[in-house]
Amino acid sequence: MGAQFDISFVFSFLPKLLGTLSTTLLIVACSLLTGIIVGFLVALPRLYKVPVLKTLSEIYISFFRGTPILIQLFLFYYGLPEIMKLVHVDMTRTPVLVFVILTYGLHTGAYMSEMIRASVMAVDKGQVEAAYAAGMTGFQAFTRIVLPQALGIAVPVFSNLVIALLKDTSLAFTLGVMEMSGKAQTLGSLTQHFIETYIALALIYLVISFTIEKLLLVAEHHLLRHERRNTPEKKLFKINKSWSYRRIIAELGPGKGGTGL
Amino acid sequence: MKLDPSFIWTALVQILSAIPTTLYITVVSVLIGFVIGVAVALIRLYRVPLLHPLAVGYVTFIRGTPMLTHLLLIYFGLPVLIDGLAAHFGWSFRSVSIPMIGFAYISFSITAGAYMSEVVRSGLLAVDRGQLEAAHSIGMTTPQALKRIVFPQALAASLPNLSNSVIGMLHGSTLAFTVSVVDINAKAQIVASTNWKFFEAYLAAALIFWALTFLIERVTSVIEKRINLYNRGGVA
Repeated sequence: MGAQFDISFVFSFLPKLLGTLSTTLLIVACSLLTGIIVGFLVALPRLYKVPVLKTLSEIYISFFRGTPILIQLFLFYYGLPEIMKLVHVDMTRTPVLVFVILTYGLHTGAYMSEMIRASVMAVDKGQVEAAYAAGMTGFQAFTRIVLPQALGIAVPVFSNLVIALLKDTSLAFTLGVMEMSGKAQTLGSLTQHFIETYIALALIYLVISFTIEKLLLVAEHHLLRHERRNTPEKKLFKINKSWSYRRIIAELGPGKGGTGL
Repeated sequence: MKLDPSFIWTALVQILSAIPTTLYITVVSVLIGFVIGVAVALIRLYRVPLLHPLAVGYVTFIRGTPMLTHLLLIYFGLPVLIDGLAAHFGWSFRSVSIPMIGFAYISFSITAGAYMSEVVRSGLLAVDRGQLEAAHSIGMTTPQALKRIVFPQALAASLPNLSNSVIGMLHGSTLAFTVSVVDINAKAQIVASTNWKFFEAYLAAALIFWALTFLIERVTSVIEKRINLYNRGGVA
């Protein structure tokens, strides 16, 4: 079970792991971008109830939310080249990172589309009617009234999704991508100091997800500045009603249930 | 390597035998996780002096790090801890006698506990404080009020979240393959590599997971209807 526990290894492993942080962040950034685009494309048919596309996007969301990301990774990695072979496209030389980003992008896309849909729907319909009454066009009402409110509602879910995505990248090592957990595994088996490597790895993930959470919290407070009251927000068993209601909607609906891998 | 649609069915049948392992891991981790979660949530809500910062630290750590690192930390760390203590106190118990699936149980329960505590906490926060005060005013003690008034309502409020967590743990159990537990994912891997048909095997595994998830969602929606009966609007 490896060598004696030695705390100094944690510190010597930290810089080595940080060297591969860029790969992890690259995966997160690229899949996030893919995810947002896919999410919008998938959310629109459901919001506007386009006949056939609506069913397709429902199946897409159901599949990506209903199967583990690890299975999806393998499925894409082994399946995509075979499917592409049917249309005579050779994918044997495609870097693994492409498959990883594609899988994570499509996976996040499913959650993103649910997030977009739920937060647009969480905006009171009366708001749109009031905007029409004031003489705005549909587009104006959407960009000036609905979108700013929906953004505020979406931020907590978005923050959860980004952190879940960050943590999910730890599975990319199964396809042989040298990101942080892959590097940690290599370091562990080279030095036989497994516990120390994984402590170092956990510390890095902790710091990054904490930073992301804080940054997005600032964004949320900024976006929801009109919603806040002057009363203190949290008491035992009591939080500001309208605020809590929105937050509960946002947190109940489309998130990953918090249980990102 | 050619696509072989008929093998999907063969693989599906072979993988079926691994479903119980996956379900065991899910159920055990969700149940123990729920117990931990309720304890942690109550500690945080009532701000129990010494335990409160510990609970916050636990939840932050678990939610901030991937499940894979929890599993590996437990897998490599627990034996060292147990064997160290055993040598010190002269126990006869050694870490070797822990089965592989035990590590999965322990680690996933710890993971589920942190997520469950958030679910329970938001559920409890969703219950109006006036309910608790009303219960007090008719002479209930706090444990009575919590058990009879607050918990049932909190449960109803957090059911969707709870079901998401169960599904999350079901999907998370695929990680057990890293400590060589043969769950659905590991079985798919075995079936795939012995027959050299990776795509078909993983497609079968995905279908099984999809079905299981669908089943959990159905069951939850039935329970949700049942549990929210009191909540119907209009005249009774």
